[in-house]
Amino acid sequence: MKLTGTALCSFVVAASLAPPAFAGLGADGTSVQTDLARMKGSLRVTSTAAFSVHEITSSSGTVVREYVSPDDKVFAVSWHGPFIPDLRQVLAGYYAQYVQAASAPHAGGHRHLTITQPGLVVESNGRMRAFYGRAWAPALLPQNFSVSSIE
Amino acid sequence: MRKFAVLALIPFGFLSACGGGGYTVGNPPPPPPTQVIATPGSPNVESMTVGAGPAGVNAINTAYISVQVCNPTTGACQTIPDIEVDTGSSGLRLLASAMNGLILPVETNGTNPLAECLQFADGSSWGSLATANITLPVSGETASGVHLQIIGDPAYPASTIPMDCPAPAENTVAAFGANGILGVGPFLQDCGSACVTSVIAGTYYQCPAPSTCAGTTATLVQQVQNPVSMFATDNNGVIVELPAVGSAGATSLSGSLVFGIGTRTNNALGMATVLPADPNSGFIIGTYKGTAYIDGYLDSGSNGNFFTDSSLATPACTGSNTGIFYCPMSMMSETASLQGTTTTTLTANFSVGDADTITAGYAVFAGLGGPNSDPQGFDLGLAFFYGQNVFTAIEGTSISGNMGPFFAY
Repeated sequence: MKLTGTALCSFVVAASLAPPAFAGLGADGTSVQTDLARMKGSLRVTSTAAFSVHEITSSSGTVVREYVSPDDKVFAVSWHGPFIPDLRQVLAGYYAQYVQAASAPHAGGHRHLTITQPGLVVESNGRMRAFYGRAWAPALLPQNFSVSSIE
Repeated sequence: MRKFAVLALIPFGFLSACGGGGYTVGNPPPPPPTQVIATPGSPNVESMTVGAGPAGVNAINTAYISVQVCNPTTGACQTIPDIEVDTGSSGLRLLASAMNGLILPVETNGTNPLAECLQFADGSSWGSLATANITLPVSGETASGVHLQIIGDPAYPASTIPMDCPAPAENTVAAFGANGILGVGPFLQDCGSACVTSVIAGTYYQCPAPSTCAGTTATLVQQVQNPVSMFATDNNGVIVELPAVGSAGATSLSGSLVFGIGTRTNNALGMATVLPADPNSGFIIGTYKGTAYIDGYLDSGSNGNFFTDSSLATPACTGSNTGIFYCPMSMMSETASLQGTTTTTLTANFSVGDADTITAGYAVFAGLGGPNSDPQGFDLGLAFFYGQNVFTAIEGTSISGNMGPFFAY
C-alpha cells in the first residue's frame, strides 16, 4: 500500500442523519451514519486516497471502525472496548454467514474465535469488559490493501 | 536433561505432601520446590479439577468445581458439578439443564423480571436472572442472596433472544462447555458502572414477558456479582493452585481454589510479585520478543496461551486446530516480561508444544498455545497456571498495600 504524498484529513460530525436501509460490512459508506445513530456515538473520519476510516466511539465506550473503499463500500470493520457491538448491525449482510460459521464446534474456547471463509474473515477476541475483533470481506478489499491496516 | 532426570526421581508422595496436588496419568511432573498447594477443606480451600468436563464436552485445560445452590425461600438445594472456574469473568451462571429441577426465585428490578445476554468472543449466553444462596461444598464458604444467571432457561427459549444479543447462542451444556461458570475475576460485577448509567446493547434486559424483553440499565446490586466478594471473609480474591504437569500432559489434574488473599496463613502473598491491572479493562502489559502487548491478562478461562509469534505459524496445525493453536515440531520454551500499572516487571515462562499430538483423552496440556488475532493481545491461560499459584485480586480491595485489581504469582 502506497500512502506517500496522500492527503490526510480528519473531521467530526454529529449523529443526526436519516438512516439508510443497510449499514455495516458490505454496505455503502453512507450507512456509517446509521451505525452512528444506533450506537449513540461520535464520529471521526480519517481519509487517504486508498480508503477512509470512519471511527465511531459508542456511548458504551467501544470504538467501532468502518473502513470504506474509494467505491464507497464498507470492506472491513473492527471493534475494541468493553462490549462487543451489535454484530447484526456491524456485520450486516454477512451476519448470517458469520453465525453459521461460528456455530460450528471450535477449539479456542470462549476467548478466541477465527473464521476464515472465502467471502468472509472474522477474528474475535477478549473477555468480560475488554473485547477486540475485526472482520473483512476479501472480495471488497481495495487493491494492494493490507489487512494488517485494520486496527 | 540432567535436571529432568533428577526431578523424575521425586516420588509421587511429594505431591501429596504439598497438600491436594496430584495428577492422574502422564509423565512425572516437575513441581517447582517453592509451590505449596493448600489442602482442600474448611474454611477457605475448595478442591478443583482440570478434566474433560461434562459428558461430550472433552474440554482441554479447563478447571472445574462443584457449587451447592439453594433456593433462599424453600431451602431446596442442588450441588452442581463441572462448573468452570473463570478468573476472566465475574458472576455465577448455571445451565438450566444442569440444575436438576431446582427452582430459584426470579430477580426483578422492582417492576419486571431481569434477563441477561452474556457476551463471549465466540457468541453469547442468554437467560433469566435469579437469586440464590450458594455454598462451596468443600470449603464451606457461603454467600447469600447471590444474583446469578440461568442460561438456557426454558422459560426464555431461543425465540426470546433479543436482536442485539449476538449469535451464536451458547445456551446448552455442549455449546457452553460446562454446567455453569463461576466467575471469580478482578471485577465486583460483570458489567459495572457502565450498565448503571446507560442501556448497553447485549447486556441487561427487563422482561414484562419473556417475549417482550427490552434493554435496561441495572444497578450494581441488581447485576450479577462476583460471589467471592459476597463471602463473609476471604472475600478479596482467589488463588488458583494447580501442580506442574509433564510435557506430555495428563488425563486430569487436581488442585485447589483458595479464597481470600492475605487473610489467612494459607493464602499469603508471600514471595509473589504483584502486577496491578488496569482498573477498567483488567489489562496488564506483556512484552514478548521485544514487542509490548498492552491487551495482556492472566485468565483461567482461556485454555491456552495466546500470543503473536510468526515463527510458530509453521508448521500449521491440522483439522480443527488449524489457525487456532500452534504446532511446533518440538516443545518450545518461551519467556515474556509482564508489567502492570507500576514499574515492577515479572518474568513469565511458558511452553508451546504441538497441539495436534495431544494424547487422546488428555484434558491437561501445558504446551497449549496459539495465535492471538488481537494485535495487542497477550493472553496467558490455564496452561500457564500449572506449577505456580496465580492470585487474582478483586477491584477496590487493599492487600498489603496493593490495591486491586491485580494479578500476582
